[in-house]
Amino acid sequence: MLLAKTLQSSTFKLALIAIGAFGATVSAIFIYVYLSTSSYVRGRSDRAIMTEAASLRDAWGQSGRARLVDLIRQRAADPAFAGHVYVLADPSLTVLAGNLAQWPEAALAPSGWAEFLAAKVSNDATDRPLVRATLETLPDGDRLLVGRDISDLDSFAAQIRTAVIAVVALTFVMAAVASILVTRRTVGRIEAINATSAAIMASGLDKRIPLRGSNDEWDRVAQNLNLMLDRIETLMGEVKQVSDNVAHDLRTPLTRMRGRLEKAIHRPRDGAADQALIGDTIADLDSVLRIFLSITRIAQIETQVRTAGFRSVNLGEIASEVVELYDAAAEEDGTRLTMLGEGEVLVTGDRDLIFDAVANVVDNALKHGRPAGKIVVASENVDGTPVISVADDGPGIPADQHEQVFKRFYRLEQSRYTPGNGLGLSLVAAVARLHGARIEMLDNSPGLVFKLRFSAPAGR
Amino acid sequence: MTESHRRILVVEDDAEAAGQLAEELTTSGYQVDLATTGNEALRLGSASDYAVITIDRMLPDLDGITVMRQLREAGAVAPFLIISALGEVDERVRGLRAGGDDYLVKPFSFVELLARIEALGRRSDIVAKETILRVGDLAIDLIDRTASRRGAEIDLLPREFQLLEYLVRNEGRVISRAMLLQHVWDLHFDPSTNIIDVYVGRVRRKVDGQQAYPLIHTVRGIGYCLRAPR
Repeated sequence: MLLAKTLQSSTFKLALIAIGAFGATVSAIFIYVYLSTSSYVRGRSDRAIMTEAASLRDAWGQSGRARLVDLIRQRAADPAFAGHVYVLADPSLTVLAGNLAQWPEAALAPSGWAEFLAAKVSNDATDRPLVRATLETLPDGDRLLVGRDISDLDSFAAQIRTAVIAVVALTFVMAAVASILVTRRTVGRIEAINATSAAIMASGLDKRIPLRGSNDEWDRVAQNLNLMLDRIETLMGEVKQVSDNVAHDLRTPLTRMRGRLEKAIHRPRDGAADQALIGDTIADLDSVLRIFLSITRIAQIETQVRTAGFRSVNLGEIASEVVELYDAAAEEDGTRLTMLGEGEVLVTGDRDLIFDAVANVVDNALKHGRPAGKIVVASENVDGTPVISVADDGPGIPADQHEQVFKRFYRLEQSRYTPGNGLGLSLVAAVARLHGARIEMLDNSPGLVFKLRFSAPAGR
Repeated sequence: MTESHRRILVVEDDAEAAGQLAEELTTSGYQVDLATTGNEALRLGSASDYAVITIDRMLPDLDGITVMRQLREAGAVAPFLIISALGEVDERVRGLRAGGDDYLVKPFSFVELLARIEALGRRSDIVAKETILRVGDLAIDLIDRTASRRGAEIDLLPREFQLLEYLVRNEGRVISRAMLLQHVWDLHFDPSTNIIDVYVGRVRRKVDGQQAYPLIHTVRGIGYCLRAPR
């Protein structure tokens, strides 16, 4: 199964192409080495034969046939010339002198080169050695053959040839094995990813790609894919939670409206009562629509990537405007709402959104804080980063729920019955994310400090 | 108001929504022309003079903004009220920058729509040149930024004065919470809380407290209206 996939894989096909190209190059190099080596060796041997033949011809030219016969006999007996072949024959090819008993049949041409297996060259020579010889016809018609036993050369060339073939074959085999192993590893990892993806598609998001702990590029790919899956799983969970909550939060007013209308339809028409009923129903519908608007608004802010509408916004101004807007509400509550900090704290952003976010936090502080408490909205530059904070002296948020409160529709147990829809801080979180701002929640003992820490505006 | 100032062009491709709009506006005494496509809107809009043109952003043939721009180029002077399901601030700003005069996000209440159309229609009337505006026994001085009833000065914060001025300038008209937020605070979102009510409540205590009659009236489910008793 895995082998079949290995052989099919594109990595393996690429490896095959690479092996082919590499193997062809290696073969060409070795063939060249082989050919040039053997032709060099052969050339040297041929030159030695020709030199020898020339010296014999000279001897004939100086002193005639008798001297040549003597010389050949002398050479044939001389161990220093072992491996040399000399034959002098008359025009009818009857041997006059030399170390071959008969004129070889492969050397009938009047001149040129011949190669043949000699019957026997000398006593110490091997059986039927391979001889390469030059043929000459002397001016008087006698035939002269001078050659050498080239069995050694031949076997040397054969050895090189064998070595070349072995090396090339070995190269191919090793490359093939290596590429199968590498491809198999790659295919194995990809198969693991494939299998996990298939399992996720088939069952659910709880599967993860196994890591090998090798920290190689495959592990990193797997790690990132796993992180992506974690994120998707969280988002899916949130979506589910949100839709459950939407269903719940919408069902309540819708059921109320339905019941009211159902009762009214069976009742005789009564102008004043109908008027009140329609008014209440519209108010309930409005609250349903408001929840919808809040959800879509948060979604829009969350998916907004364009920050083209961003301008320079003064957090100090926003702080004072929010304080001013909530002044009346705080007064009604007996809460002291004040503003602190520098007048000019500039960030790049969307004024409406930042205002909305800060207003939401102040609204929360008013709603969930201590009655007749104290709320301070402060804007300042801390080490060059603009910060806007809202501090109250209410019950605060338990540390283990700091993350939870940003979830849509999440409400602390203690504030389940205060008005609100649990979307305010989700909006704050979305606005913060859009502006690249960090949210910090600190203990004000008693109470909570909620901070929006922006990144320093560009160009400062 | 002249005849043309009670005439409204409604550009809306959804038949039912268009029908409801036309009915509501007719009941309120407007004469309504209806266009269901961008090209029809262009033809009608350049043919006659309207008090207000309400325009949907999403039309089957042309984008609402394109229609608006072409009508402006053709010399239409009527204020545009953009009605759209695209509520995000960016879109709003884009619409207003392209020549829209006000922006309303679907779904909206007809009272809100009427309030905005009233406000827009008035804009094309004569702009008041007085420096002191009076409603009943209330007088507000636009130069000194002070307000008084029967000569007794009312102590108002600057923003409270701005709010009162906006209500006085729109005397007798229904002003929604969103309109207040937009014109007094220059904020373009719907407050999810009753914060505007609380704020208006305080202004009302200052203006109407211990007086012969109230001026600021709550309009249930929508907002406020400032008027003297008849």
